[in-house]
Amino acid sequence: MLNMYLHELKQYRRITMIWIVSLVTVAALYMALYPSMASQMEAMKKILANYPKALLAALGIGPNLFLSFAGFYSIIMAYVMLATSIQAMNLGTGIVAKEEHGHTAEFLLSKPVNRTQVLTAKLLAALTILLITNVFFIAAMWAEISVLAKTTIEGKIFILMTLTLLFVQLFFLGLGFLVSVTAPKIRSVLSISLSTVFVFYIIGIFDSIIGSKAVRYLTPFKFFDNQYIINNGSYELSFLVLEVVFLIAAILAAYYYYLKRDIHTT
Amino acid sequence: MNVIETKKLTKYYGKSRGIIEVDINVEEGEIYGFIGPNGAGKSTTIRVLLSLIYATSGSATIFGKDVVKFGPEIKKEIGYLPGEVFYYDTMRVKDLLNYSASFYKKDCSKRIKELAGIMNLELDKRIDDLSYGNKKKVGIVLGLLHEPKLIILDEPTGGLDPLMQQTFFNLIRDENKKGATIFLSSHILSEVQRLCDKVAIIKEGRIVKIEKMSDLAQSNYSKIKVESKAAIPEGYFDMAGVSGLKTDNHSTTFMFKGDINSVTKKIAALDLVSLFVEEPDLEDIFLHYYQ
Repeated sequence: MLNMYLHELKQYRRITMIWIVSLVTVAALYMALYPSMASQMEAMKKILANYPKALLAALGIGPNLFLSFAGFYSIIMAYVMLATSIQAMNLGTGIVAKEEHGHTAEFLLSKPVNRTQVLTAKLLAALTILLITNVFFIAAMWAEISVLAKTTIEGKIFILMTLTLLFVQLFFLGLGFLVSVTAPKIRSVLSISLSTVFVFYIIGIFDSIIGSKAVRYLTPFKFFDNQYIINNGSYELSFLVLEVVFLIAAILAAYYYYLKRDIHTT
Repeated sequence: MNVIETKKLTKYYGKSRGIIEVDINVEEGEIYGFIGPNGAGKSTTIRVLLSLIYATSGSATIFGKDVVKFGPEIKKEIGYLPGEVFYYDTMRVKDLLNYSASFYKKDCSKRIKELAGIMNLELDKRIDDLSYGNKKKVGIVLGLLHEPKLIILDEPTGGLDPLMQQTFFNLIRDENKKGATIFLSSHILSEVQRLCDKVAIIKEGRIVKIEKMSDLAQSNYSKIKVESKAAIPEGYFDMAGVSGLKTDNHSTTFMFKGDINSVTKKIAALDLVSLFVEEPDLEDIFLHYYQ
């Protein structure tokens, strides 16, 4: 099983490096804007006051967010989250589907391994890839925060906020796994993952506009409320439970289907 | 001992037919041919044996063990060459071979070198830089590198040039001499004839006939096509052993079975433009053997 795990890591090495570099670059550039924005805070507030409230809500800009660096950082996270979710969904969908899509399933499954081992190796590899991505991202963000002026944030809040990326990624990884195993034939992994992530993202935007709490249960983008994290220094338990339950259910279902289905060639 | 044994093995893809009640027994040390036209169910049978797909009903065992229940254990001793070869495009040949070897708990490095030498394979090339024929060669090495006891080959020679086919057949014969059982599917009769001891013929999902190669060879048909300058008189080829006679102006085709000399004498008396004596293809076999 170790050989399959290492094989997957090698196969994804390049694309993971590209993801890490792009995520860090975009987030770092965005964050570098903070010192100059902070010095013009009063002017910024006046401008924002003229915007419609619904628009600000949709953009994830709450009333107090610009008062602190933590608020500013949470906006960056909201955008980065869209990208990291696509990474996770793509990974979850692709890591199993690529064998059938690329016709290599016959190669792999004619080896002396059972399907549980195949799926487990792939799942562990995907988790490792996401962990590596997050470790690099967290390290890079922390490094930049320590260097930039005016960027003061409590360590715990920083970690909690940044880790929401990983938690939302895990949701999409589980979903992607389930989709790749149950969908009969996947022609394009990217189009499936992009559309799925965007649907959930749009549901999230509706929540911000409507302000209904019920919608929050429908999309992982709203499982973790940054304002709540800033105020309480923790996640909301009910959403954390929801996430874990979903993950376990999705992965068990993926195993169940993968073990009993036919492997198609074309 | 039966290396492969299937009993009433049936596979439906939803409502469409895969195979119906296939019974085959492959004994240890045999080279067993599995022949039939495209879409007859050859690959389906093989894919059930490898538990890539699951049978609708019936049973299949390899080395006396159920193919689904003991799949991973059985596969330690199976070498498989798929009909269509696809591998991880970005890998180098040697990395792919080593990856494949890493699934078997033994050192295959010596065998890899040996096989790559025989098949004339470039180990440093990337998979996506290889031609189809070269990918097929990679597949052959992958199928043999762990010295399996059972070698399953699905349409093995497609994409190989005649010289390489010869090398490949010799390789298979050597493996067989060393004790490996060979199960080979094909739609090309001559391929099976050259190699196999026994042959099962499959048509539309069902086994039509299982015969020893020696019996099949005895009842050999030839397909003869004659083109003459003058029109051939009607009834000229009315003789024992001729069947399926078709005349079109100056050209005549028929199947012939029996003493070839009797027919060559007849043909020699004609003023010919051209003459073909061919091995009948599968379709002809089905038409003339199993009406």
